[in-house]
Amino acid sequence: MKKWLFNPFMYIAGTKSLFIGLAIMAATATIGFYSHTHFDGVVDMHNGRISALPFYFWEQLIDWGTVVVIFFITGKIFSKSSIRFIDVAGTMAMARWVAIFSAVIGFGINAPNVMPHSTDDILKVITPSFVLFGLLSLVFIIWMIALMYNAFRVSCNMKGSQATGLFILSLIIAEIISKLEIYILYSKTI
Amino acid sequence: MQKNLPHICPSCSSTLKVKSLVCEKCATEVTGVFNLPLLASLTQQEQDFIVAFVKSSGSLKIMAQQLGLSYPTVRNLLDDIILKIETNQKNQK
Repeated sequence: MKKWLFNPFMYIAGTKSLFIGLAIMAATATIGFYSHTHFDGVVDMHNGRISALPFYFWEQLIDWGTVVVIFFITGKIFSKSSIRFIDVAGTMAMARWVAIFSAVIGFGINAPNVMPHSTDDILKVITPSFVLFGLLSLVFIIWMIALMYNAFRVSCNMKGSQATGLFILSLIIAEIISKLEIYILYSKTI
Repeated sequence: MQKNLPHICPSCSSTLKVKSLVCEKCATEVTGVFNLPLLASLTQQEQDFIVAFVKSSGSLKIMAQQLGLSYPTVRNLLDDIILKIETNQKNQK
């Protein structure tokens, strides 16, 4: 059971995991649209801003696509195995499945559509339910990172401290690039 | 009880050699110093994997289906065995 929760890639990878992952990502984007939950970075989740439906899908694609490209390049450089693009793409898509819970939790956070400008505004936003659902979403983000780490280990055959170091480095690079891409997406369309 | 063939010296951790072979039927014994077959240095699980790999004509996809594992998991297992064999080969030289 623990393996299925944290490392399902031992059993499912490639095309199968790609289709499962893409289907759940589409569902996450749709739920995110209704709960106003944005995934505006590889491991980011923000609630409140109201946008058109396509933006939620673009965010999912950018997050996943950036992770796939960065981790595939890392795997190609450092792995001694002949890794396949479809395995990296499939496992990384499936690793994002828990984000759907964060999108659902977004209904409970109910953050305002505008940035708070004063301390009073901030205090109005930080309600007990905001903190509770915020912490809950953090749990799912950590779970997603654990899944991504195992996806990287299995798809690129990485082990030990090398796997951990390269994963952290690649994740930071992917996060920065995805943030830039999403910034460009919004700035070009507004 | 299934006995595992030891290949590492319990005293100094060097690779063991075969000193004698015996015919169970007529008790003829051959003595000398022979290298252990390369695959004998692998664990039973790794040997079973190699047998399954050969039986599936070297198809990792078929093996993945048979073992109920994903393709990269099976490839990783194979790569680990290859690495172990290469290390053992270097040590035997």
